Amino acid sequence: MLRTHRLAARRHGSGRPGAAGGVSTPLRTAALFIGGVLALAPAAATAQEPQRDSIPTDVRVGILYQPVFRPGIVVPVIPAPSELSEVADSARAIILRDLDYGDRLEVMSLGEDIPHEGPVNYGLWDELGAVWLLIGVIEGPADAPVLRLSLHDVVFRLLQDVRAFELPPLRHPAFRMALHRAADQVVRWATSSTGIAATRIAYVDRSPGGLEVFLVDSDGFGLRRLSSDSSIAYSPAWSPSGDRIAYMSYQAGDPAIYELDLNPGTSSLLVDLPGMDMTPTYSPDGTLLGFAATVEGRTEIYTYNLAERCCARRLTYARFANSLSPTFSPDGRRFAFNSDRLGQLHVFVQNTQDGSAELITRYIYDQSVHNAAPDWSPTGDRIAFHGWVDGVPQIFTVAPDGRGLRQLTQEGRNEDPSWAPDGRHIVFASTRGGIAGLWVLDVVSGRIRRLVRSAEARLPDWSGRLDSTSLVGDTAAAGRNRDNP
Amino acid sequence: MVTNFRREVSWLSAIALTLVVAGCGRAPAPEPAPPPEPEPQVQPRDEAAERAAREAEEQRRREEEERRRLEAERRRVLSLIGERVHFDFDKSDIRPDAEEVLQRKVSVLREYPGIRLRIEGHCDERGSNEYNLALGQRRAESVRRYLMSYGIDAGRFTTISYGEERPLVDAHNEEAWAQNRRAEFPITDQGRIGAGE
Repeated sequence: MLRTHRLAARRHGSGRPGAAGGVSTPLRTAALFIGGVLALAPAAATAQEPQRDSIPTDVRVGILYQPVFRPGIVVPVIPAPSELSEVADSARAIILRDLDYGDRLEVMSLGEDIPHEGPVNYGLWDELGAVWLLIGVIEGPADAPVLRLSLHDVVFRLLQDVRAFELPPLRHPAFRMALHRAADQVVRWATSSTGIAATRIAYVDRSPGGLEVFLVDSDGFGLRRLSSDSSIAYSPAWSPSGDRIAYMSYQAGDPAIYELDLNPGTSSLLVDLPGMDMTPTYSPDGTLLGFAATVEGRTEIYTYNLAERCCARRLTYARFANSLSPTFSPDGRRFAFNSDRLGQLHVFVQNTQDGSAELITRYIYDQSVHNAAPDWSPTGDRIAFHGWVDGVPQIFTVAPDGRGLRQLTQEGRNEDPSWAPDGRHIVFASTRGGIAGLWVLDVVSGRIRRLVRSAEARLPDWSGRLDSTSLVGDTAAAGRNRDNP
Repeated sequence: MVTNFRREVSWLSAIALTLVVAGCGRAPAPEPAPPPEPEPQVQPRDEAAERAAREAEEQRRREEEERRRLEAERRRVLSLIGERVHFDFDKSDIRPDAEEVLQRKVSVLREYPGIRLRIEGHCDERGSNEYNLALGQRRAESVRRYLMSYGIDAGRFTTISYGEERPLVDAHNEEAWAQNRRAEFPITDQGRIGAGE
């Protein structure tokens, strides 16, 4: 980050690194300076976490995006013998898309015909405006290709990092995910923050039998149906390990919480208290399941001990009101949730062990306030939710103490946000442009892209980073795979 | 067949007699063939059957009438039970118009203690998907409590919320929303409506 910071200053005369967004204030500048100083220390990684878009003022509602400098990266065509040329082209296309969707680097299509055999001509790439140069070499047999990626720092004229990635064969279901992990590694080399390409989004969509849980890769490929309950499925939630998804289903008539095991792809009953059980969420350490259950006709929030498969514990006590949609802070000590206890629907934060609920969204007297679907960022500093603006839901974020409210969307209906593991991207359901579906927003730059086009896609939940062990289910699911370009 | 056989027999016996008589050298006048057996006299029995049929018809008519009456009663009960109640936006309390509807249900439920119901809570599409599940549950619960407050046994109801997932009117305007904010009352056990008790 320090390097890109300097570069940005050199090339654009502004001290804005790619990872930092939000509002330019003296505070921000100071934070950047401190960040820069810390970056010189050996423990640079902690200081180089992405700067969050915390707004130090009380309430600032409006669409706030700043032009953000993204260092340019060039990825020349990967040369390959004929039997590997398709692998090479696919690999490059997947990585290029991932780098673009990551929003931290600007993919440049300059000088693609420039030969790059022999020593890297740093001067030439520098002249073309590139900050990074990613050179790929593909080797080995077609059924076990190896992609060697080297990232060159064009400005400092040195090899930043190099690594060989073993790939499955071209049409193997794990092929794309292996390249997503490679792309995430490249982003980490360049920005010190791992990318989010090797992730998936679970969501709900209409199927002939009813509403089912679906799955899609972060780049919109690999779309497939997971559940087959032929009833109503709602509120899918990833386990931190990335190999299970909890969700609510009406499959047995009485709504209860089920768990899909992605390997081998089976569904089993997880929690069924009397009445309706809904809105499941895993604690970040995976030991607890938070959810809402019916108490005297209303809903209250409980936790269930997943390790011991027992012991539902009630966390909220609001007579005559609903509490639902819990979401844990990254340390698991607090949770945000939704409640209508004030006569309007609001987001509250409460300690998991004890304590009272604190209102973090704004109470507006005599207005139809509807703040719903909170999701606590994996980086901890923001809570996303949707709230009504003139009766139309829009995506907001707010700090866990209720400060720094920020509106992120304004076109169409925008609902049910869920954070990517980088705490910078949000997936949500939207009708923007008259085309309903799931969309991904970079809250720093405001760049937005469509993930899934479907009138009934909703309730998305973004997974954590998926390592290879959590992806064993891929082979089992291969038969059901269908790409969604 | 029987008649044919008889005729055959009488014809054969006529020949035999002729032969016997011829053997005697005299030919007495042949006996006339026996008259055909008289048809059974069914006239009195027909009258009895007609009477029985008339009675059966009468019985059928009475049963049909009773069946129609029961069917009408059944339809009345089902329509009173099935009558929806509607709610205000983001509210679960019973409106005065809903109270009239529920009062009719109370009297029917008292009349037919065997009837069991599922109370379904539904919402319009505007609120969040998940909140609407909770709101629908509260609507179902507030109806259940209303019916219980008039002495209807709690064990006769189950409640469920479908949130905004089962709209009555699939449109996106105020009228559709008003129709969709409702409770429905599918019967899970008809008890003895059909038996006339």
